[in-house]
Amino acid sequence: MLATIVDTEALLKTILASFIAGVGVTLIFSVAILGASRFADLSRDGRPAAAIAFGLLGLVALLAAAVAVAVGIIVMTQK
Amino acid sequence: MQTDVILVIVIGTALAFDFTNGFHDTANVVATSISTRAMPPRVAIAYAAALNFAGAFISLAVAATVAQDVVSAGAITPTVVFAGLIGAISWNLVTWYFGLPSSSSHALIGGVVGAAFAAAGPSAVLGDGVLGKVLIPAVVAPIVAFVVGAIAIVVCYRVVGRLRPGQVSRGYRLGQIVSGGLLALAHGTNDAQKTMGIITLALVANGSLAAGADPPTWVIVSAASAIALGTYSGGWRIIRTMGTRIIRMDAAQGFSASGAGAAVILASSHFGFPLSTTQVISGGVMGAGAGKRLSAVRWGVAGNIVVAWLLTLPAAAAIGALTYGVTRVFGTGSVGPIVVTAAGLGLVAAAFTRRIRAGTPVPAP
Repeated sequence: MLATIVDTEALLKTILASFIAGVGVTLIFSVAILGASRFADLSRDGRPAAAIAFGLLGLVALLAAAVAVAVGIIVMTQK
Repeated sequence: MQTDVILVIVIGTALAFDFTNGFHDTANVVATSISTRAMPPRVAIAYAAALNFAGAFISLAVAATVAQDVVSAGAITPTVVFAGLIGAISWNLVTWYFGLPSSSSHALIGGVVGAAFAAAGPSAVLGDGVLGKVLIPAVVAPIVAFVVGAIAIVVCYRVVGRLRPGQVSRGYRLGQIVSGGLLALAHGTNDAQKTMGIITLALVANGSLAAGADPPTWVIVSAASAIALGTYSGGWRIIRTMGTRIIRMDAAQGFSASGAGAAVILASSHFGFPLSTTQVISGGVMGAGAGKRLSAVRWGVAGNIVVAWLLTLPAAAAIGALTYGVTRVFGTGSVGPIVVTAAGLGLVAAAFTRRIRAGTPVPAP
């Protein structure tokens, strides 16, 4: 009875999207902070190769977070 | 002519409700950014107001739910919509006066349902829509925000736990500029649409718009402007109280809480679920607190939110029904709504005067 009243599919999609967006973007952005922080530390310690690797990781994660937010907003506008 | 006068009163009342919605919710939207010093208060409020305005334009799914899935458009008159709005505004004022946390959204839907029930009987209320699109998502959404906030903060601490705190805080403060902005955008999307839905319902009831039509552009622009103006002007008064009441959060918790709230509200808006943004944001904040330390959450506040949730729909519905009965005493013309509006404004003025004389700070919603 309840399943016929509630749009279960929409509700489950809402829950799934909330988890992916909320936890996923937080994870990616945290990796960006990790990359930036380690880049600064390793550069100071005179380890340029490792610093560049972490710098790239941070940059890619930051771009991924920005893309995720942009895609989220675009999906919102398309209904 | 008579119905046009009522329609003008309804639209004015709906926009006033939208303004108070923004006014009430400013603190919820910007509290995490201000608490973690991600943004200065003036900047945070102006930023939230601008994104509230922008958010109102990105979806119409919630407006469609309010206009089509809660009450039967065929049984609705502008007077019913007016009575519903008075029910919502009255309940908001009562809860504001006594400092109870309440949802403007649930009050709005409760008020309209009560007035429609009084006007046309149970058949005017679309029970399936109220249960499936309003009540169940209203229960699920704050719980999801809580869980997302809790998992997100655990993820944050796992990834950055061994880094220098200063660098981490600076990073999350920058992130909060985006996540706080998304939260303001989400708030504008979900809450401004409820007013659009109500005005659309009144326009359909008045015969100015076909049933099932989308809100006209002027309705979208005016609803967006009203909530943005309310957000901008409300902040200064309420934030002083809110700033001392919220949990002391670190930047990672602020980022996780606003991210969780924004994700749930934006996803729900996409599928047309009209939520209580206040309760979802509270869920995200509590989740981010509980993820760090379970005792950091004020479980008493959580209990108050549950009590307010249980009371809001029936109380606003009862006031909406009563208001409809009172307007009908004066007939079906515009006299009833005019008398009720005048009486309402008098009561609001008296309540404000009494509150200011008592010298008590305005409680946060």
